[in-house]
Amino acid sequence: MSDTAVVNNIEEVQEETARFLTFTSDNLVFGVSTDNVIEIITNYMIRPLPMVPDYIRGVINLRGQIIPVMDMRLRLGKPFMEYTSSTCIIILEIDSIRIGIVVDSVLQVQNINTSLASPIPIENRQELTNFMLSLDDGTVVLFLDCEAIIRA
Amino acid sequence: MDNTTDSLLETFLFETNSLLEQLDERLINAEKAGSFTEDDVNEIFRSMHTIKGSSAMLEFHSLMEVSHHIEDLFFYIRENGMDALDDEQKSDLFDLMFKSMDRLRDDIVRVENSQPLDADITDFINEINGFLKRIQKAGEAGVSASSLTASGGNLSPGIQYKTDAPYLLQVFFEPDCGMENLRSFMLVTALEEKDLSFQFFPEDVETNSQTKTIIAENGFILAFASQEDAESAIRVLKNTSNIHTYELIPNATEAQKSETSPTDTEHEKSPQTAAAAGTQPSGASATLPSHAKQSLISVNLSKLDKLMAVVGEIVITESMVIASPELQNVKLDNFLKSARQLRKLTDDLQDIAMSLRIVSVSSVFQKMNRIVRDMKKTLNKDVRLTIIGEDTEVDKTIVDSISDPIMHIVRNSMDHGIEDDVQDRLDAGKDAQAEIILTAKHTGSEVIISVEDDGKGMDTAAILAKANRAGLLTKPEEEYSRKEILSLLMLPGFSTNSEVTEFSGRGVGLDVVRKNVEAIGGVISITSEKGKGSCTTLKLPLTLAIVDGMEISIGGNIFTIPIANIRQSFKATNEDIILDASGHEIIKCMDEFFPIVRIRDLFQMQDGFTDLSEGIIMWVEASDKSYCIFVDQLIGEQQVVVKPFPPYLNNFNIKRSGISGCTVLGDGNISIILDVANMYTAAQEMF
Repeated sequence: MSDTAVVNNIEEVQEETARFLTFTSDNLVFGVSTDNVIEIITNYMIRPLPMVPDYIRGVINLRGQIIPVMDMRLRLGKPFMEYTSSTCIIILEIDSIRIGIVVDSVLQVQNINTSLASPIPIENRQELTNFMLSLDDGTVVLFLDCEAIIRA
Repeated sequence: MDNTTDSLLETFLFETNSLLEQLDERLINAEKAGSFTEDDVNEIFRSMHTIKGSSAMLEFHSLMEVSHHIEDLFFYIRENGMDALDDEQKSDLFDLMFKSMDRLRDDIVRVENSQPLDADITDFINEINGFLKRIQKAGEAGVSASSLTASGGNLSPGIQYKTDAPYLLQVFFEPDCGMENLRSFMLVTALEEKDLSFQFFPEDVETNSQTKTIIAENGFILAFASQEDAESAIRVLKNTSNIHTYELIPNATEAQKSETSPTDTEHEKSPQTAAAAGTQPSGASATLPSHAKQSLISVNLSKLDKLMAVVGEIVITESMVIASPELQNVKLDNFLKSARQLRKLTDDLQDIAMSLRIVSVSSVFQKMNRIVRDMKKTLNKDVRLTIIGEDTEVDKTIVDSISDPIMHIVRNSMDHGIEDDVQDRLDAGKDAQAEIILTAKHTGSEVIISVEDDGKGMDTAAILAKANRAGLLTKPEEEYSRKEILSLLMLPGFSTNSEVTEFSGRGVGLDVVRKNVEAIGGVISITSEKGKGSCTTLKLPLTLAIVDGMEISIGGNIFTIPIANIRQSFKATNEDIILDASGHEIIKCMDEFFPIVRIRDLFQMQDGFTDLSEGIIMWVEASDKSYCIFVDQLIGEQQVVVKPFPPYLNNFNIKRSGISGCTVLGDGNISIILDVANMYTAAQEMF
């Protein structure tokens, strides 16, 4: 009996912490669950598409798969910044839809205790994010709302 | 449902559908000939038996009942020959058969959609039985000797069997051995292995466990056409366990018949042998030489799609490897040799993968036979359908999506095209029987399907007046050319028939047809001459997966235009441009004027030529739209594998902006495939 209780206890703890990939875009730190991340690529040739909103940068050919690419800065209504060597495309899979997001730089993968996350105050709410959390080192991470990304 | 039942069901549906399709074809041909041939009767009997067996196994009772009764009916016809029926009965028989086919097909559709089957089939069964009784009565009056339910010899009453085979073997199993029906069935299997042809009663020993009491009481009856067969069967019986007694009884009715007409019996025996083989579907293909066994497997279409996608990848990757920049300016003899070999193999692989998806259009064409037949009766018009080139092969996806459009066009021809009154035809010096010609043929990269009728043709004045009333005209009436008037027919909400008939004229007609055809990259056009008839032509690509494309570049970006849409490309100078009142550019080409669409402006691109003399003009055409586009340069012709855009991009209505998909080039870059028809619409909306 006591054994199972311990196991349950561990599971509960594990459920609360999840692995997140953190990245920056326009000096904000974002986190996205690693469950949604397929891979990170750099230096990819993006083929622009006509007649789409400016935040859709175009499509890339990822080993034969055609994947649309969205610029996080433009999506959040921030000014466009030329892509540099630290610019990355994070390929996400959300509800079996694959999409790439262009971010300024990728930081790290870390375990984050999601139970500590709090909703973002309504007046400061950013598009595409649902929760925020300050880490031990004082940085504030905004969690990406993946469903909102594919909602166009 | 577990997996086994699922796959059983899938097999059942596939098998039954193809059987019904074959039967339909047979029925149509037989009706044309006015009678069933011996082969037809056997085939129908055999198919019904198969359907009955498999639906009994899956417990679809109504399907089983209907097919069972048709089987009975054809059993009678097989025994007595079609000649026993008079013309009226034959035509009734055809009607009944078509009705039964529809009935079975409806049931199959219900099974497919997992709806409950119609349990109330007594009316229909009665109809079949009634017909059977009618022809039996007529048959008995004519040929007194043949009888359907004769209990031969001194058999106990209560067992019903129908045969006029001369040798009957009555087998009794040991009392209380149990499972008589299964023992009988094993006996049947054992005899089949000896290649004997025979019939057995009760017929449903395999499926119906109730038969065991009948067998226990009355014995199991085997009927043989010849004495040798019966004797070899007796040898088998001697080696079978649990058999109590057996008795060879001459069939009284048959003996009498052979006395009266000895020449007839010889003649009748051969069909019987073939027919008896028909009762065992497994053996049938082996014994009938006309049905050589083809080894076919059915494959899920999505698997073929995946295969095609992988093959496309291989083709692209191969050219990426061979054209790799690291290998430029390096001389590698062996590498080039192997690369050539690889290219040849991938080409072969691509051809084979493509051919897997290619099927003939005959399935669609054969369906039209049925439609023409039904409409002929309802509309009381005498029409024959001539089919040319039904062996033409096209991609499966295309065949599937042209079925409805063609059906619609044929219905239109039947309903509106062909004259209502035969006298009109005679007055015009035409045959009393109208003709609809359905043609399919290959021309290089596309397939052309046309539906032609020799009816009254289209009245352009009436079309114009009607379009005017419907408010469909965009310019003054007198400015419409003949071709433009005919294309008005394909606008939404246009139907020339003021009365809505059962078959066509609901106002959703040719516009839907056009939409369907254009959705698969086809082009539809109508030509018609008043009094002589009309012709609707569909130009379709052979496959959707691979397109012959022309690569062009605009401001460093590469686009692909399907070759099929390109009419001509030429150089022009700024002086050739004419501006219309609102400032749109127009250019003259082959004595006609066409608007110019600058793709750079349409797609709001940063780079690209603006000076007409620097770039090149391309005259493109798609369905009724014909115009010129201005591009930077032509790069070359290439076969490309079409990739649809990721579904996420549909949020932005990307298709409406005139791009239909993309493709990966040899160097890994992406080229966008332009959709000529939608591009023009997009340009018009913009300017």
